[in-house]
Amino acid sequence: MTTVVVGAGMAATRLVEELVRRGHPQLTVLGDEPHPPYNRILLSAVLEGTHRPESLTLRDPEWYTDHGVTLRLGARVLGLDRERREVLLVDGTTVAYDRLVLATGSIPTLPPIRGMVRRDGTLHPQVHAFRSLDDCRGLVAALDTARTAVVVGGGLLGLQVARALSVRGLTIEVVEGGEHLLRSQVGTRAGAVLEHGLERLGTAVYTGARAVRLTDTGLVLDNGYTLDTDLVVLTAGGRPSTSLARGAGLTVRRGVVVDDRLRSVDDGRVQAIGDCAEHAGRTTGFVPPAWEQARLVAADLCGEQVSYSGSRSVARLRATDLEVAVLGDPERTEGEVVEMSNPVVGTHRKLVVRDGVIVGATLVGDLSRIGLLTQHYDRGTVLGPHEPGALLLGDRPTRPAQLPDDAEICACAGVTAGRIRTCGSLDQVTSTTRATTGCGGCAPAVRQLLAHRPALSTPRQGMEGTRP
Amino acid sequence: MTNTHCPYCSLQCGMTLERTGPALEVTPWPEFPVNEGALCRKGWAAAGLRGHRERLTTPLVRDSHTGALRTADWDEALDLVAGRLRDLRETDGPDSVAVFGGGGLTNEKAYQLGKFARVALGTSQIDYNGRWCMSSAASAANQAFGIDRGLPFPLADLEQTDVLVLVGSNLAETMPPAARHLDRLRDRGGRVVVIDPRRTSTADRADLFIQPVPGTDLPLALGLLHLLDAGGAVDEEYIAARTTGFDAVRCTAAGWWPERVERVSGVPAGELRELAGLLAAAGRVVVLTARGAEQHTQGTATVLGWVNVALALGMPGREFSGYGCLTGQGNGQGGREHGQKCDQLPGYRMIDDPAAREHVARVWGVDPASLPGRGRSAYELLDALGTDDGARALLVFGSNIVVSAPNATQVGERLASLDLLVVADIVLSETAALADVVLPVTQWAEETGTMTNLEGRVVLRERAVAPPEGVRSDLDVLAGLAERLSAPGPFHTHPETIFAELGAASAGGHADYAGIDYDRIRAEHGVFWPCPTADHPGTPRMFEGSFPTVDGRARFVDVEHVGAAEQPCEDYPVHLTTGRVLAQYQSGAQTRRIRDLADPGPFVEMHPMLADRIGVVDGQPVVVSTRRGELQAPARVVATIRPDTVFVPFHWVGANRLTNDALDPSSRMPEFKACAAAVRS
Repeated sequence: MTTVVVGAGMAATRLVEELVRRGHPQLTVLGDEPHPPYNRILLSAVLEGTHRPESLTLRDPEWYTDHGVTLRLGARVLGLDRERREVLLVDGTTVAYDRLVLATGSIPTLPPIRGMVRRDGTLHPQVHAFRSLDDCRGLVAALDTARTAVVVGGGLLGLQVARALSVRGLTIEVVEGGEHLLRSQVGTRAGAVLEHGLERLGTAVYTGARAVRLTDTGLVLDNGYTLDTDLVVLTAGGRPSTSLARGAGLTVRRGVVVDDRLRSVDDGRVQAIGDCAEHAGRTTGFVPPAWEQARLVAADLCGEQVSYSGSRSVARLRATDLEVAVLGDPERTEGEVVEMSNPVVGTHRKLVVRDGVIVGATLVGDLSRIGLLTQHYDRGTVLGPHEPGALLLGDRPTRPAQLPDDAEICACAGVTAGRIRTCGSLDQVTSTTRATTGCGGCAPAVRQLLAHRPALSTPRQGMEGTRP
Repeated sequence: MTNTHCPYCSLQCGMTLERTGPALEVTPWPEFPVNEGALCRKGWAAAGLRGHRERLTTPLVRDSHTGALRTADWDEALDLVAGRLRDLRETDGPDSVAVFGGGGLTNEKAYQLGKFARVALGTSQIDYNGRWCMSSAASAANQAFGIDRGLPFPLADLEQTDVLVLVGSNLAETMPPAARHLDRLRDRGGRVVVIDPRRTSTADRADLFIQPVPGTDLPLALGLLHLLDAGGAVDEEYIAARTTGFDAVRCTAAGWWPERVERVSGVPAGELRELAGLLAAAGRVVVLTARGAEQHTQGTATVLGWVNVALALGMPGREFSGYGCLTGQGNGQGGREHGQKCDQLPGYRMIDDPAAREHVARVWGVDPASLPGRGRSAYELLDALGTDDGARALLVFGSNIVVSAPNATQVGERLASLDLLVVADIVLSETAALADVVLPVTQWAEETGTMTNLEGRVVLRERAVAPPEGVRSDLDVLAGLAERLSAPGPFHTHPETIFAELGAASAGGHADYAGIDYDRIRAEHGVFWPCPTADHPGTPRMFEGSFPTVDGRARFVDVEHVGAAEQPCEDYPVHLTTGRVLAQYQSGAQTRRIRDLADPGPFVEMHPMLADRIGVVDGQPVVVSTRRGELQAPARVVATIRPDTVFVPFHWVGANRLTNDALDPSSRMPEFKACAAAVRS
């Protein structure tokens, strides 16, 4: 059986890994980019300069050869012939399949800005999209001469790009058409805290404003502002890449419509995973669901029984000095809301709880509990009534002002503060109690206890009653 | 006055025993470099078992009429055992008898036990409790470096490194004197990183503490490698010159960005970045793993993941740098080298290697073809007892199986199905209490023998007092049985003679002891193996020029995260992990009987949030249950543990009724350190 995968992005790579692990024969991967599969979500870190582009590669071509997988890079797909079960490539060749998986991802949405696209269809030299490694390289190359940039789109990617460029030393302005930042993920208050945080980092934010025109004087917004800028980066989201499916007559709404086995509702030989797939009315733009789908399709292709029932998503901003995590869809999920907002320090935390289970959450500015909250969220842990509140408060370490006599000071020898207080010197402590003779960790505490030892003239018994 | 070593952990602290009248007193031996006179309370109280009222001084035999154990003399007990073993062998073949050893036995005993199994019994069915200790690290080190010595450098080297990363080790409690090196490292300006689901007293001494979900140390390693590679901190020159296999590992790491690691491990991405920054800036890094990282179904892969980090940084073989494993049991190192492991012959030789069989058979004076092949690993051996193709008799030396085995209820049932269970021990341990024949043996200060500590340093435990009347050494027991079974070749009983034979058997192997003798050990404060000849200085530091692999290079092994075999679910919503407390050791057969050591019994450590959820306060009894069993114990409510995790110490009966017997595919290590549990008031 020959399986062909259209796409060589993150979903496709995971699918191939899973198929290889299961010993699936006859596998061909068609990627339209010239690069071996790479980790797309790290591009903003490459832009920031904290991630070497060479270290993005998920699997090198040698790996495909070693595992008997045909990898064709720079292979643009023109169409599908579902009757003949063939993929038609731009170069005129065809690839036959028994089963086909579409992992075509998404394509960036280009906002309607006049002057942005030149007559020949290319982008204005100041304007950069940000989706592929080539986009990223192009933008990095432009940084040498640029001092200012406008980021169009205040979603996750926009904020990551904005921070990355700030770290590179550019002055950044963010333009967001919605009323607040991250409007697909978070509520107004979280958006406001975030905006404030970004401004504190020196980035100007224009919300409720659309870029309408690019002129010689700058980027003109519909609120009357004109932003003088060296660069414009488009990060206004993406949409599923579905033209291939649509051209082949498959049902497409926002994405390629698939059933619980992630098969097209029209053709059981064609499956779709990742950003391009629409399951139960939902598309996702994140890696973990795409990988879950990849695993399921691999199992399905190898004859296992599978059923997909959606994924839990955790959206995590990867941006220096800007801490955001969104679990699920907190703005559109039913439940009781436990919320704490502290604009003074720039934090906003919100949990949506239903029957004791965290079903959504927003964390801005403080991710100290993220490692626990995501565990509770992913595992559907049923919490006690006080827990959601406790989870939003930080730990307050408490230390007694004075150690009680029965407090164990030396765990190695089992010696209490009281026994040490009866000693006159470190030598005496060592010889009579053996405290400090094990791991040595209690030595500072012992010295301190000896220093605060009551003067010899004070009768010890009288002390107990007067101690607070 | 006798210089010797503590009877407990793998540090093998030096101590001096003084006899004052009938009493035996422990005093410091400051010249011994590993602990420089320091001891923990277990060591100070080590003489507490001497003259203990529960000490066994006569063999016990289960009476066929009453079903109770009654006293017997040695000849009766040994005749009985040998007769039953001979009968079984004749009717059911040699593999109908199994042997179970321990990581606390001296090298001489471990060696002799392996020889006894292969030569006197002819059985392939021998393994030992060390399989449940550091076997994952052993498996990983053999794959990556071509050799398995816990630390490839002396422990004191830790003081000279820049960053020390402890993965799943609570050494301040499990081997307290070792923590002194941490303090000196920090005094020098070095940094200590502790990774543990609990903020232990070791973590209290750390500069950076990372608190992952149990069973997720591997994603941390993958994420760390991701960041180090992304930031250009890997040592390309070292990788090119001294290793193979990095390309595949690098690609796998590219898929483990910090936020993905965060979601899997529960460690905030920022903390992983902080750790990566610390390592990237350090010239010398040491990574040490211990049971927390190793006792998992992916324990071997987890260790390999951390070895990959060390290799990528170019550390193994560099001064004051590298990877090491903190071995647990007193002779956890030596115990795994001389043949009580199901796949090994002395000198860390593999039993299915024809050259190894030839060499060892010659030393033993037998035909190589007569040596059995590879047997079952510890848990598999026990799990097969009494079944159609499992053993029908079991001899146990130096192990308290029913307390220390995972899924202990199941193991108890397997033991009960045996035709014959023989246990050699110093007290009537929980396992001995189930035996058909109990043989009272010598311990620690009553006998002489070598131990190999966590550094690969062979040390000498010297006899300081006479054993109680009626007690015999394990070596005498084995010789007595071998004679009754008409075994070929001599079975010596004098430890020094056996050590010389062990040296000859190990010659040319990885763990080569041929050049070591008792006098050298006394004169040199121990000798590091490999030490092939009498004029060889021993090998304190390994890998300086090359690795003992076929091509002399270390191997990057591409590993992926699978996760613990059992994940929390609706019915069992929290992680259970297990471990040790300072005042107790292993199954507690010794330490629980020592008056000066606190014996609080088991407890269930949990976070205040979890305690509040189930409605208990500190000290109240709670019930922990898993798919395998239940344990009731008081709650110990502390804010130092992850709120999604509970911890139970394993020194008492109960903890291991809960633990999972799923095994690591490579090391056959059970998953002691993570399973799904429920807690209720």
